[in-house]
Amino acid sequence: MENKYLEVTALTRYLKHKFDSDPNLKNVYLKGEISNLKFHTTGHLYFSIKDDNSKINAIMFMTNAKKLLFRPTDGMKVLVTGRISVYEQTGSYQIYIDEMLEDGVGNLYIAFEQLKEKLNKEGLFNKEHKRPIPKIPKRVGVITASTGAAIKDIISTIKRRFPLCETYLFPSLVQGDGAKDDIVKKIALANTFDLDVLIVGRGGGSIEDLWPFNEEIVARAIYNSKIPVVSAVGHEIDFTIADYVADLRAPTPTGAAEMVVPNINDVINHVDQLKIRLNESINKKINYLKLYLDSIKNSFVIKNPLIMYDNKKQKLDLLVEKINKAILLKVENKRKYFDNLKNSYIFKNPDSLYKEDKTILKNILEKLELLNPLSILKRGYTLTYINETIITDIKKININDQIKTKFNNGYIVSQVIGKEENNER
Amino acid sequence: MKDKEEVKFEENIKELETIINELENGNVDLEESIEKYTKAMKLVAVCDKKLKTIEKQISKIVTDNGIEDFKIEE
Repeated sequence: MENKYLEVTALTRYLKHKFDSDPNLKNVYLKGEISNLKFHTTGHLYFSIKDDNSKINAIMFMTNAKKLLFRPTDGMKVLVTGRISVYEQTGSYQIYIDEMLEDGVGNLYIAFEQLKEKLNKEGLFNKEHKRPIPKIPKRVGVITASTGAAIKDIISTIKRRFPLCETYLFPSLVQGDGAKDDIVKKIALANTFDLDVLIVGRGGGSIEDLWPFNEEIVARAIYNSKIPVVSAVGHEIDFTIADYVADLRAPTPTGAAEMVVPNINDVINHVDQLKIRLNESINKKINYLKLYLDSIKNSFVIKNPLIMYDNKKQKLDLLVEKINKAILLKVENKRKYFDNLKNSYIFKNPDSLYKEDKTILKNILEKLELLNPLSILKRGYTLTYINETIITDIKKININDQIKTKFNNGYIVSQVIGKEENNER
Repeated sequence: MKDKEEVKFEENIKELETIINELENGNVDLEESIEKYTKAMKLVAVCDKKLKTIEKQISKIVTDNGIEDFKIEE
């Protein structure tokens, strides 16, 4: 029987498949101690997790590593969750870590998350509650321990950057049992002073050391402070509830001092700039007005005041001439009109108006005379009536009818005893 | 005098900036401009004096005993 020789890649792939398909290896909860920790420039973390007898390689990718709430160090005891798989190039199995907590602080972590969610829901972290931090404060209040690096860093930074600013230290416990109450008390006390901004914080330490800044009463005291609050707790990577609720989060106490006061040289430069702008603006104004005045002084009219009269005079002359012309034209038109009237036929022969009318009237009278029925009677004609109606048709007259015959100068009444119709038509 | 000292530096700067903006916009007549300019120059002088006099930085500590000077042990 022939032996089958596998390629390394094929074997490794087979092993990887075995790991990846095992449900127990997909979601592993593991505890141990960090060793051989390397922060890669990509942001990934490479290290081993070991206990007294064994060791496993571990990798935490940047997307997960940046969510870490603490800074891992060699020797630190941790709780991790992740999956086990094979890295084919080296043929080594390793744990790909999704989440990592400091061992022993699990309960604190849960408390932190719960409080954070609660206050967030209440809106304590909302942007609209963030008060602006003054740019150039006159007095800065500091709530931290009176001994230790934090206060030294803050005061020396302010002294270096902007010595005009006064600092008021309200010494407070910043770790241990009494710390939270003391911090709350000092925030209230600081609010009775005329301060522009308040730095609340402490230097670096373990998560337990920083814990007072994760307490609800401290968070609420910061929220209720009338003076804007800058939080400055621990190192850059330490995030506390105080940081979320503060008006501004500083990465460190030194950072807080740098954010709170300006650099005096910048302010001096700014004032110098303002001085330049001020002078330029007033000079511009004066120069503009000067130019304007010059232009007025040099204007033609100011130099030749009589020209104003000349123009007006000329205009007046023109108007007088125009009005004269207009009147003459009107008079001339009227005169022509009257001449025409005077020379008209009617004006010269007023009788003609009547003459014609007289002839017409005569004709009409003659015609009327002709039409007058009574004038017909004068010529010997008569009119015949029955019951006051003129009869023009013989058919309407019957034998024995009484008829009335009208003459020019009277009438007779007679009875019809015979009639003879014409047979024409 | 004390009152003037108390006026905050930042407010001085802000007032100064406001005046300069007004002057730069050019909608102010001459008399008013000069009045504002004079006022602004006074503000500049106050700011300059504050910035250029080297004062000792004041640090206080507020305790149950009251307000005291605070010195950092170097």
